[in-house]
Amino acid sequence: MTAPPAWLPVWIDGRTRLIERGETLGWPQLAIRAGALAETFRAGVRLAVADGNRVATLIAALAAAESASVPLLLRRNPETVPPDLPAGDSFAVLLQTSGTTGAPKVVRHDFTRLRGRLRGTGDRGARWLLTYEPAAFAGVQVILTALAAGATLIAAPGEGLAGLARAALAHGATHVSGTPSFWRAFLIALGDARPPLKAVTLGGEPADQPLLDRLAEAFPGARLRHIYASTEAGSLFAVTDGRAGFPASWLETGVEAVGLRVRDGILEVRSPRAMLGYAGGGAADRDGWIVTGDLVAVVGDRVLFTGRADGRVNVGGVKVSPEAVEALLLTAPGVQDALVAAAANPITGRILTASVVPMPGVGEAAVRASVRDAVAALEPAARPRLVHVVERLELGASGKKRRGGNG
Amino acid sequence: MSAPAPTIIPMITMIVEELGRIVAEKGAALPPLAADTAFLGGPLPIDSLDLATLLVVLEQRTGHDPFRAGFRQFTTVGELASLYSTDTLVEAP
Repeated sequence: MTAPPAWLPVWIDGRTRLIERGETLGWPQLAIRAGALAETFRAGVRLAVADGNRVATLIAALAAAESASVPLLLRRNPETVPPDLPAGDSFAVLLQTSGTTGAPKVVRHDFTRLRGRLRGTGDRGARWLLTYEPAAFAGVQVILTALAAGATLIAAPGEGLAGLARAALAHGATHVSGTPSFWRAFLIALGDARPPLKAVTLGGEPADQPLLDRLAEAFPGARLRHIYASTEAGSLFAVTDGRAGFPASWLETGVEAVGLRVRDGILEVRSPRAMLGYAGGGAADRDGWIVTGDLVAVVGDRVLFTGRADGRVNVGGVKVSPEAVEALLLTAPGVQDALVAAAANPITGRILTASVVPMPGVGEAAVRASVRDAVAALEPAARPRLVHVVERLELGASGKKRRGGNG
Repeated sequence: MSAPAPTIIPMITMIVEELGRIVAEKGAALPPLAADTAFLGGPLPIDSLDLATLLVVLEQRTGHDPFRAGFRQFTTVGELASLYSTDTLVEAP
């Protein structure tokens, strides 16, 4: 018998287990990593950085940074980390927004607030499947939920959807949270197989009614809910009645200590679980209200999500800007004109497509290669998946390009 | 759109052709396919973005969108092909 580790953060139940890449780790193994990291952090580090692609490392870094009282950046993309992040001498969690084609930001969260919506007790037997990027806001929420409950966390980073489906079945996942796009693809990957789900959670994109109905049918015994949250506003509320959107009465009453209002068709929220601010200063709010950028419509007794105010579209849970990708294509050698549009599909909601006019004398193969190079640095969701090489772009009645397909 | 609905064999051929294009774009090779080959979780080197791309291309090529009225379950190549072939039943001529 080994002695139990003396060090156990209050937010971790010591019975937690992590299954990652075929390895099963308990807190004793994670504590060894955390201890080593904490020593490094204490040796004069004023901003700790952890690459968020391994869950074991992420958990150890959180525990270590808390113990060493340093802020911790959970890094998703090294290329978009601003150079001048402020250091500090107290624990906080810094998260990168996906900022796919807009300016990526780093958001600073108080750790206690970050855990404000977790209800850890009672689900110790849960086997959580991590479907989100570990260092994304939603990924951190799932990890902290499992840790607080003493549950088992199943992770398959980098193994794609097929790997997640295999892991869910092999390890008997009972709790799964994912984007609507994840769920649509997950159902396809599962075929007739069904993991023993007790809780089905959707987040990251608006949940549509046909998908909610299909999930209720596929997993009749499971608790079905969709969550509204963002990296900036934190975890806001869950909707548990199986219907898309949320009750319009919440605009009057608020929900889960969150205030809700609609201004110019855009949902604004006031939350006790919001970020502290952007790292490097600046807040997103006015008088404590955060402008979410989500367009909503009140239909009967429901508030429904209808799109993004900034024209960005949701590609499998990643918000991308067709305009920004188009601007990038217009800088590519051999490209005379370009139009980037969003095409609807039942798997990822939207994908981007591009129509490209080559400069005179530039062949189709050359312009395709140029486009491929231009978008190579974008994350996969932001790359136009279909590129049509055309002689000219169709213009709308206003003489502007017709972006179309957004509806 | 009132293009005649494709029948199942040409549909499978079209799916295989477009899958080959999508996979080649990623520098991978398409394994041998059968009607019961699963799109995801099986031998095909594709992810959900690739599958989404396939569905958009098929809609552009056939003029049919079997998912217009909401999602319909499919797992294999043959099941997807049959959604396009039976699409005339729900599509106004």
